[in-house]
Order: sequence, then structure tokens, then C-alpha cells
Amino acid sequence: MDYLQEMAKYYTTQKQKEFYHDFLDPKQIDGLEFWDEIQIGEESEIPIKFEVKAEDLKAFAASVPDDNPIFYDEEYARQCGHDGIVAHPLFVTQIRFFLLQGGGHGSWNRTPGARNPGQIIEYYDPIRVGDILTLKLTSYDKWIKRGKYYMRALSQIYDQYGNLKMRYFSTLILPRTKADVLRFLKGEHGLEA
Amino acid sequence: MESKLTFETIKCGDKLPTVKQHLSQEDIWHFAVGSLDMNPVHCSPDWCRTSQVFGIPETVQHGQMTLSLLTKVITNWAYSSGGMMKTFEAKLIKPVPVGSTCTYGGEVSELHPVKKGKDFVAVELWALDQDGEKVAVGKAQVTIP
Repeated sequence: MDYLQEMAKYYTTQKQKEFYHDFLDPKQIDGLEFWDEIQIGEESEIPIKFEVKAEDLKAFAASVPDDNPIFYDEEYARQCGHDGIVAHPLFVTQIRFFLLQGGGHGSWNRTPGARNPGQIIEYYDPIRVGDILTLKLTSYDKWIKRGKYYMRALSQIYDQYGNLKMRYFSTLILPRTKADVLRFLKGEHGLEA
Repeated sequence: MESKLTFETIKCGDKLPTVKQHLSQEDIWHFAVGSLDMNPVHCSPDWCRTSQVFGIPETVQHGQMTLSLLTKVITNWAYSSGGMMKTFEAKLIKPVPVGSTCTYGGEVSELHPVKKGKDFVAVELWALDQDGEKVAVGKAQVTIP
């Protein structure tokens, strides 16, 4: 089964069509940052921007799936007290995967074999259609617990006016080294625990 | 529009309406495209048969999809009344393999009367699989106008 072809049936937005889909492409593995290379305290301002379009917000909500009209119907959302269609609380997932697709700092989220143990998000200002978002990324912490290799990043997302939209502490359990990831790339298990 | 939720009408112990969701591989692919998380642990059944990231030969629901469905409990309850999430944190306890059916729910645990427009509540969230085992727990703070 070609799963990439199966997923292509769901593309509706420009960003989805332009996204680099193949997380198993050996060429992209060379650009990843691996657990044993992460430098705590490293900060980056990711150079590309995320312009929020209504189709991006709607596509995320539809994929949850969540058919609440606040995510699709601007007039209804305004009647409910919002100032336009609402961004789903986990919309940050799409923002980060889009902005971090280029490899280098923050590329761990594309790692084959990564596991998600939980997340923390603080919301400061709603994301709106027309926002042009930028990401300041900090390698916040990494630790070993019961043989698993954890890392935590802090993503601070700003709009074009410099307003802080949210702070997102994302945690992952990762394969420790590039050699471990390459085992996953071949379809072998590459975790120590 | 349903009757409007207000801070004054909420009590500690209020149970939020649950969300029940069956998980198919098509659901996972759809979420992968919506979130742009196309990791093979979710998307490639062939790869999962041998790599077994979670020790099982099947694809699993995105952790972010589990969290999205947890927050659906909040958005269903409060967003049509102008409510908005202030904070959210959650822990994923066990993977959700394709074919699972999970139920997501919540209960109001704290009331924070700050001032009109800034009042917020805390909600404890949980997700159970079809065997009644917890797959995730969380807590959200929600501003209620």
C-alpha cells in the first residue's frame, strides 16, 4: 500500500500540497537533529512564516474531526462572541510541522520512531485569519527516564505585530542517535526502551 | 444557537458532555494531512508491522489527535458561548491503535472568579478506550465570558 497516495486524497489546502510529505526519505534524515546532538538553550528564529488562511483553519478542524460551526462559519463565530472563525486549540500542530519542515533545529518532530508523551500549551491571543506567524524555538530540556530519551522544546509564536500568540512546550521521546533512526528507516525497531 | 453558558451557571463537579470516536486508518490519514504530521508510525501500516515503535504491529492515533479530541470536549461545551482555552496540558498514557473506540470527557474542578470577561474555570479531562482503560488525562483552563 502506498500510504502517501492514500493521504493525497485528503489534500485541500495550498500548504498541504506544497508540504514535504515523505518522513522516510533518506535525504531528509541527513537534515534531522538527533537527540544526542540537541544543545539545551539553543534558540532559533525560524526564517519562514505561516500566513493563516481560512482553508488552513478549516482543514485542521475537519481532520480532528470537529464539525462545530465556530471553526467554519464566520458569521456564526461572531454571533458566539469570537472575532472570526476560530483556530482549533491544537492548530499549533499544523503551524509547527509547516514551519519546521526544512531540517536543522527543531526537525526532531519529523523523526521516524518519535513518541508523544504529552504537551503543554499557554494561549495568549487568538489566532486569526490573516495573521502572519513566526516561530521562536528554544531547546528547553532533555532527560533520560526509564531508558527513554526525552526532549522538550519551547515554541513561542508571534504575529506580524510582535504579539505573543502562544507558548507551547512540546515533549517527545526520541531515538537517541542517527544510527537508531536509520534502523527505523529500514523498518527495524530502533528504541532502547 | 444553544443556551449560553455563563460563569455564574457553572459549578464544580459539572460533567461535560462526552465525545465518542472510532478510529479508522482513513481517520488517521485525514488527521495526518490536517496536522502535517505524516510520521509513518501513524500513516504506514506496512512500516508499523516491522518497526513496532510502540511494541505493536499496527498504526496508532497521533498523540496530537488524542489531544485534539480531548479539547473537543471543551470546544463543544464552551466555545459557542464565547469561551476560550487559556491553558492546556495533557499526558498520553498508552497508544491508541487503529480500530479503537475512545470516549473523551471532562469535569469542572475549579472556579476562578477574577473579573467579568476574565473569569475562568479548570476542567479535568480524560480519555478511555473501549476496555475502559485511560489513554490520556489532562487539564484545561477555560475563560468564560
